[in-house]
Amino acid sequence: MSKVEVNHLTKSFGSLKVLDDISFQVNDGDFLCIVGPTGCGKTTFLNSLVKLYDIDDGEILINGEEVDLNKHSIAYIMQEYSTMSWLTVKENIQFGMKVRKFSKEKLNRKTEEVLKMVGLEKFADYYPEQLSASMLQRVSIARAFAVEPDLLLMDEPYGQLDLELRFRLEDELIRIWQETKTTIVFITHNIEEAVYMSQRIMVLTNKPTKVKEDFVNPLPLPRNVTEEKFIEMRNKVTNLIKWW
Amino acid sequence: MKKKFQNSKTETVVYFICSLVGLLIVWQLAVSFTSLQKVMPSPFVVLGFIGQSLTQKIGGKILPLHILASLKRVFVGYFLACIIGIPLGILMGCSKTGKAIVKPIFELLRPIPGLAWIPLAILWFGIGETSKYFIICVSAIVSIILNAYAGASQVDQTLVGAARMLGAKPAQIFLYITLPASVPQIFAGLQVGLSSSWMAVIAAEMIRANEGAGWIITTGMESGNTVQILAGMISIGLVGLLLASLLRLIERGLCSWNIQGR
Ligand SMILES: Nc1ncnc2c1ncn2[C@@H]1O[C@H](COP(=O)(O)OP(=O)(O)OP(=O)(O)O)[C@@H](O)[C@H]1O
Ligand SMILES: [Mg+2]
Repeated sequence: MSKVEVNHLTKSFGSLKVLDDISFQVNDGDFLCIVGPTGCGKTTFLNSLVKLYDIDDGEILINGEEVDLNKHSIAYIMQEYSTMSWLTVKENIQFGMKVRKFSKEKLNRKTEEVLKMVGLEKFADYYPEQLSASMLQRVSIARAFAVEPDLLLMDEPYGQLDLELRFRLEDELIRIWQETKTTIVFITHNIEEAVYMSQRIMVLTNKPTKVKEDFVNPLPLPRNVTEEKFIEMRNKVTNLIKWW
Repeated sequence: MKKKFQNSKTETVVYFICSLVGLLIVWQLAVSFTSLQKVMPSPFVVLGFIGQSLTQKIGGKILPLHILASLKRVFVGYFLACIIGIPLGILMGCSKTGKAIVKPIFELLRPIPGLAWIPLAILWFGIGETSKYFIICVSAIVSIILNAYAGASQVDQTLVGAARMLGAKPAQIFLYITLPASVPQIFAGLQVGLSSSWMAVIAAEMIRANEGAGWIITTGMESGNTVQILAGMISIGLVGLLLASLLRLIERGLCSWNIQGR
């Protein structure tokens, strides 16, 4: 069954047509990486999916029905900073779990777990004003992972991070995906990252945006970036992008 | 604008004392060596008068009781302005219809200074306490409403979206996002409102009263007592400063997250 179904999605801002009659499906349990030129409408798509934007035409369905944020368990790591400045790191992370009424025991356990995962244990009681850009991004990541969503939307979440942390969180995301079979839509500019993690890759064109390629990534996990097959795959995607 | 150079606490206190002492010295020098002495008493005479009136009555009351009388009026009028103004402003900020109906009225009222309401207040409520409360309330309320409105309407929509995505319902978004996000702006309005109401009480008392800080100044003028006028003015300044600091302290407690709160 398809987790997300996008049918003839069209979206303009004034006279600027961003998404032009796009259709595709994300299957339950997919790990889909979307790559596309900057400004092609990747963020616009995710924002439309979670109803931050109204769409002009077409429809987006989750589990075959209209999107309902209270019913469908979605977590969205936005490209923009979205931490609440009046809450500490810990309180930010717990926000979603609290409104979703997690039990106290689970709330505490999860908080510890994700804090450790993003390496912010020491900063649990800091306020966002006191954090760096990468740390803020990690708070958003931890907050999204904590609610154990069925559908995880990530908009260039690792762009700000240093390489070591980035590699660690890439592996972490693969682990979460393998363990929970959460459906993941991951937007990135980094081709290596897409090939390293995804089980399916979608390449978008320039505006007005269409789907250029959509294919399964057959490399077995765990992957090795120095392997010949990996490099082959990476070159394939790179070539696709060169012909935008 | 965010992270300014921050003085340590002791440094701030030292500078504060230096500037006060400097002011006193300049004042004293001016009075000793220029013709200013014909119209101005020395600062020490004024301070002496203030000290003395802590125990000796001016008119019917000692100075602290006069100030208390003014403070009581401010408290009533300002309190009214807060309990009406804050909810009204937030309501305007949250609801488009609420805003459409109420906002134009306040845009119109905003340029009218609170003191311009004095004649109407006297006609409506007489010259007693009620009209003073009214003047203080209208002086404070406009900036309180408009700031609460601005705070609630300028809440970052990304955050509202993020909260909704995490599963928050409208009531929770209001309680956990809109309200806390508007607190700093609300306090900015409360600060302006407080100084407006402190100014308004003085003006109201200068028109008609038999006690209060404003009354001290007016009677000082009527009897040609410059020392008393200056003593009244200095007390007003000190109490105003104290009130503003008190409010800032409350704000600090409420939004420790907002470290730009100086
Ligand atoms: N709220 C908006 N109002 C008007 N135009 C917008 C708005 N949001 C996005 N756009 C425009 O729509 C286009 C797509 O923007 P979007 O943010 O979706 O791109 P993107 O693919 O996420 O780019 P990037 O890779 O840089 O994040 C851009 O040309 C942008 O200028
Ligand atoms: Mg984007």
